[in-house]
Amino acid sequence: MPAINLVDIHKTYRGKVHALRGVSLEVNDGEIFGLLGPNGAGKSTLVKIIMTVIYPTRASGTVLGLPIGHIDGLRKIGYLPEHHRFPGYLTGSQVLNYFSALSDVDRSTRKKRSSELLHRLGLGDWGKKKISTYSKGMLQRLGIAQALMNKPQLLILDEPTDGVDPVGRREIRDLLSELKAEGHAIFLNSHLLSELEMVCDRVAIMVKGKVTMQGTIDSLTNESKRIEIEVECSPPDWSHEAFDKVEGHTMTKLGDDTSSVQHLIDRLRAEQCTIRSIKPVRETLEDLFMRAVDHIDNPGSHGGKK
Amino acid sequence: MRLFKALLLDAYRQLSAAKLFWLTLGLSVLVVVMYGSIGFNDEGMSILFGTINVENEYITAGSLGARGLYLSIYSGILVAYWLAWIATILALISTCSIFPDFVCEGSIELSISKPIGRLRLFFMKYLVSMLFVLLQVSVFCIGIFLCVGLRLGEWNWMLFAAIPIVTIFYSYLFSITVLTGILTKSSIASLLITGIFWMTLFSVNAAEGVLTGIMTSQQVQVERYQESIAKQQIEIEAIIAKSQDDFRIESRQAKIEEMTNENIQATELLDTLEAFHKPISWILTVLPKTSQTISVLDRWLRSDDGFDLSAIMGGDMSDIKEIDPTNHMAVRRETERRMQDEYDGRSLWYVIGTSLIFEGLILWIASFIFCKRDF
Repeated sequence: MPAINLVDIHKTYRGKVHALRGVSLEVNDGEIFGLLGPNGAGKSTLVKIIMTVIYPTRASGTVLGLPIGHIDGLRKIGYLPEHHRFPGYLTGSQVLNYFSALSDVDRSTRKKRSSELLHRLGLGDWGKKKISTYSKGMLQRLGIAQALMNKPQLLILDEPTDGVDPVGRREIRDLLSELKAEGHAIFLNSHLLSELEMVCDRVAIMVKGKVTMQGTIDSLTNESKRIEIEVECSPPDWSHEAFDKVEGHTMTKLGDDTSSVQHLIDRLRAEQCTIRSIKPVRETLEDLFMRAVDHIDNPGSHGGKK
Repeated sequence: MRLFKALLLDAYRQLSAAKLFWLTLGLSVLVVVMYGSIGFNDEGMSILFGTINVENEYITAGSLGARGLYLSIYSGILVAYWLAWIATILALISTCSIFPDFVCEGSIELSISKPIGRLRLFFMKYLVSMLFVLLQVSVFCIGIFLCVGLRLGEWNWMLFAAIPIVTIFYSYLFSITVLTGILTKSSIASLLITGIFWMTLFSVNAAEGVLTGIMTSQQVQVERYQESIAKQQIEIEAIIAKSQDDFRIESRQAKIEEMTNENIQATELLDTLEAFHKPISWILTVLPKTSQTISVLDRWLRSDDGFDLSAIMGGDMSDIKEIDPTNHMAVRRETERRMQDEYDGRSLWYVIGTSLIFEGLILWIASFIFCKRDF
């Protein structure tokens, strides 16, 4: 059973602003799923619909096997909203205590979990300090701790590394991997494509309220896999037929089958052409993202698969 | 219960983090100390622990006057002015940001994404927001209870009635703060609109009170004229029975005619006033009755001995039961007595019940918006 199974989610705000235009996606148990898209794509709207902060215009599907917004479902979800604001008069421990009490976590568990999570997120010495003294990165880590207080089956994090320094980001990535290993399903919403690429099992790209691509990063970038050979000599005439693309001193063969280029390398060497580099190349998540955005803006261009 | 406890604790932390909370509490304690500094002795009353002495035979230690005065200072001045005005203004300033902060972006998502119904969350948040007033008034009442007990030897539990009365009074205003806070998400806007609403209520209450006063006074005048006319007629009949040529008959008839004309004018004025009074009364019926709610406490605390602080302050220390209709002072006193009867006759259902219905309506609108809104 998938952790999240959204089918045909629509959201139209007053003034006929179509934020979501039939979004369908699936997040499996125990995987890290990344949702990416440009500003205004509808990512946060989608997350807020899952968390009942926003009401959908039309929606069906399930979250943890229950209808979207079901109270029992919410009990098993940990959520870190984007730009979250904790009350400045509380200490770190009090924040964890207060918000987990709202999640119906009992007192003894709250006490135990808050101390455990503060240590796990590197805030062990800060639990008794007012959060008005916290840095942005510390607040972000506290937010993640808050989302973990109810031992959620599903963790939804909206821009979790926002404002966090590179060391902190690495710690958060490691934490996410640990949580995945513990069996949590994690739904990440982020602008940081490189971060997502490093931790996500699957991603979906949203543009203008629609999911344009969805799948594993490997499957989405598969068709862009190629082998590039850079030489010092001018590419020989036969190379234009033997390679898929020749540009300057670089010859490209599509696909990732290395055996298909062995005889071409031999031929180049036989012609005393010095080979500078041979490298397998594939699209980055950023390239994929740009392609998806470009496809929506220019529908006639080469797009991705859905 | 777990949720309510968490919200209550959070409300306490929020309030105790605000300097204004402690300032208001400090001022409340100061007011209580000032009240406690008032004492009574064989000569009269002492203020500021004997620094100022007021000699008066009606308010000596152990007298009914002393008791009535001490309790009237509590209900008529401390509750009516300190709690119902100054402390309420400070409370509104302190609490006006609760709902705007609660529904602001980045904060509301954390609360409404929890496994709690929005309606439940809204009303619990509303109730715990009353904590400010509840704590302030409770501390105040405990202080007053001790003062009254030590000064009068009377442990009057009715003094604690101020806690629900002032909290209810405050809740009328706070419901507007909540509605505007949810609509505008701005503390300043909600404070400003609540202030305007309060002043509107005050004006309507005052207008109704003034019109009721003038009408009652006119009613007393009309009755006075009617009584005088009837008296003159009896006298004329008595004179005519003795002699039909008596010179007094003409002058008496002229006086009757004059009074009849004045009576007609007074009756017409009464009708005109009633035309204004009726719509204001209807409007007031559906609005919260702020001053009348506070006056309920005065009604409950007033003893059966007929002691009246307003009478003392007006220089009337006598126990006059007979009204001389031709005496202007007596007419005024009769008007005040009737006004008192009129207000005492207004049921709790009318004073508090209808006000709570208004508050309920405002809260229903606020909760509807809260429950249906996309945040």
